[in-house]
Amino acid sequence: MKYKIGMPRGMLYYDYYPFWNEFFQELGLEVVVSPKTNKEILNEGVLSCVDEACLPVKVMHGHANYLKDKVDFLFIPKIMSIRKKEYCCPKILGLPEMIVNSVDGLPPVIDTVVNLKKSNLSINKSVFETGKYFSKNPYKVRKAYLRALESYEKYKALLNKGVIPMDAIKMYNKAFKDITNHSIKHNMVIMVAGHPYNIYDEYINMNLISKLSNEKIKVLTPEMISEEKIIHYSNMLPKRMFWTYGRRIVGSAFSVIEERKIDGILYISSFGCGIDSILIDLVQRKSKEKKVPFMLLTLDEQTGEAGINTRIEAFLDMMKWRNRDEDNVSTHG
Amino acid sequence: MENYYLGVDVGSVSTNVILIDEDNNLISKRYLRTQGKPIDILKEGIKNLKDEMGEFNVCGVGVTGSGRYLANLILGADIVKNEITCHGVASLSYLPNVRTVIEIGGQDSKIIILRDGIIVDFAMNTVCAAGTGSFLDRQAFRLGIDISQFGKLALKSTNSIRIAGRCAVFAESDMIHKQQLGHNQKDIIRGLCEALVRNYLNNVGKGKEIVGPVMFQGGVAANEGIKVAFEEALNTEIFIPPNFDVMGAIGAAMLAKEEVKKKGETTFKGLGIADMDYKVKGFECDGCSNLCEVIEINEDNRILARYGDRCGKWTNSLKKSNAKLA
Repeated sequence: MKYKIGMPRGMLYYDYYPFWNEFFQELGLEVVVSPKTNKEILNEGVLSCVDEACLPVKVMHGHANYLKDKVDFLFIPKIMSIRKKEYCCPKILGLPEMIVNSVDGLPPVIDTVVNLKKSNLSINKSVFETGKYFSKNPYKVRKAYLRALESYEKYKALLNKGVIPMDAIKMYNKAFKDITNHSIKHNMVIMVAGHPYNIYDEYINMNLISKLSNEKIKVLTPEMISEEKIIHYSNMLPKRMFWTYGRRIVGSAFSVIEERKIDGILYISSFGCGIDSILIDLVQRKSKEKKVPFMLLTLDEQTGEAGINTRIEAFLDMMKWRNRDEDNVSTHG
Repeated sequence: MENYYLGVDVGSVSTNVILIDEDNNLISKRYLRTQGKPIDILKEGIKNLKDEMGEFNVCGVGVTGSGRYLANLILGADIVKNEITCHGVASLSYLPNVRTVIEIGGQDSKIIILRDGIIVDFAMNTVCAAGTGSFLDRQAFRLGIDISQFGKLALKSTNSIRIAGRCAVFAESDMIHKQQLGHNQKDIIRGLCEALVRNYLNNVGKGKEIVGPVMFQGGVAANEGIKVAFEEALNTEIFIPPNFDVMGAIGAAMLAKEEVKKKGETTFKGLGIADMDYKVKGFECDGCSNLCEVIEINEDNRILARYGDRCGKWTNSLKKSNAKLA
């Protein structure tokens, strides 16, 4: 009988799913992913999670709760650091502990520690420790690891080509020729900046990205910007950014502002995010300096769309108005 | 028969219905309390206009405000625009060189930055409604003062006291503490006005370059105390346009006028809508775990619109049945 391992579709799912999914499948497990966030998942999450956590953490609790009766193991990695001398948000560091102590009746939770603070080689330790649960054969685990890496590289390549993670996650393992659809003409280019769990969860951000696409706007997100550019532009900061996601958001936003690739920036933040309070200010200052329109959208549990729609509409109107005024010269080549 | 353009702003606290002529002159205005029943109040507003003006031609309709989609369904508007654009357009027509617009309404507060006649930046309050009209309403009620007297009382005070303005809940408890210490009412009210302005400038106006001419509009602009507090905080003169309370509706009507010029004729359903019967029904769809709250609007027993479903099951089924009818 195949063991079932559950992967909640929350928090850093869009960062690590292609890797761990391949790894577990290669070891002969059946991977079960929770559905996209819905009202029930959100409600369960809000009920079980501690009150002070941010919305995406609550949503993650809801996903874990959804999976608990459907799988033999639950995979919630403890991602301490994914880059040398850098950290993740404290809520991500403590995620498995938070969930184990808040959600009742969970199956065994595999809380692999990923800590690359000192060296990238530490990933080997995380991988082999996770593999041990399911195979005594180190060669088999190694083979699964290599396959996982391969999938992950394919996924990253798609993102760098400008495929949004929601689509890339469905197609990274399929053969494809040309993923760019040249038939769509875009009026404007907007960067949607923010943490991946806010910008790719269509339920909590009320379909923001499709709303923009429907208006013929090309959307860029931090995940689509290459690592080299992110590092180059985030080094413009007077001090080193020690949060990996902070570096990604600030570096990618700076790169598209400096290279004049966008007409505006929409920053999506969940209410009460400590890291965002600094990132928003950094990005806002840079866009003000370079005269790029900037708007912040704050998400919490609201489901009324009127507020968010008004802000998006007004933002788009303003950009059209500004662009028209610049003698119809596009700012992005 | 005169040709007029209708502008409607369905906000959280007030529903404003106005008429302008070809030269953007305000012909008639109605400022009504929404009282949680936007459809009835909208009908009442249209009926009022009919009674007051007699026969007239509506050449175009523009709707705005948080209830603009609802208003559009009922009126058949030529243009549905967000409040920021409408306020911007209306302010420019009153003061072509305006560079900052402060707008404080019932649930929203906004700042619009204009340079050389175009909107270059704006901000709205985030999830918090402290410092907006609803909050003032509530505090006036608590103090037993009519909201229209609020500003005048604040101006009588010579000694303002500091009230915490960060959050409506904190402000309220701070006010109670000060009141129990024996401070008189007008000083507390002035302190409250200053707290609101401080909160607005720190929250909505954060990082914005506020330079004159500054215009102040929205329902809260009726409050003298807030105007003076803004003038003191910004150290500049604040202009309040004569129709400060209906600027959004005026902007919507102006945009409708432009739109109708472009497309030739209006889609307005006619003033007869004031006598139609509208019913709103809400239900929870149990088709999937999203449990969407679907809203259905009926016009004289005919389904006018359904919305609120994320998957489009109810919205699309309606389109099909309409197509069959047509």
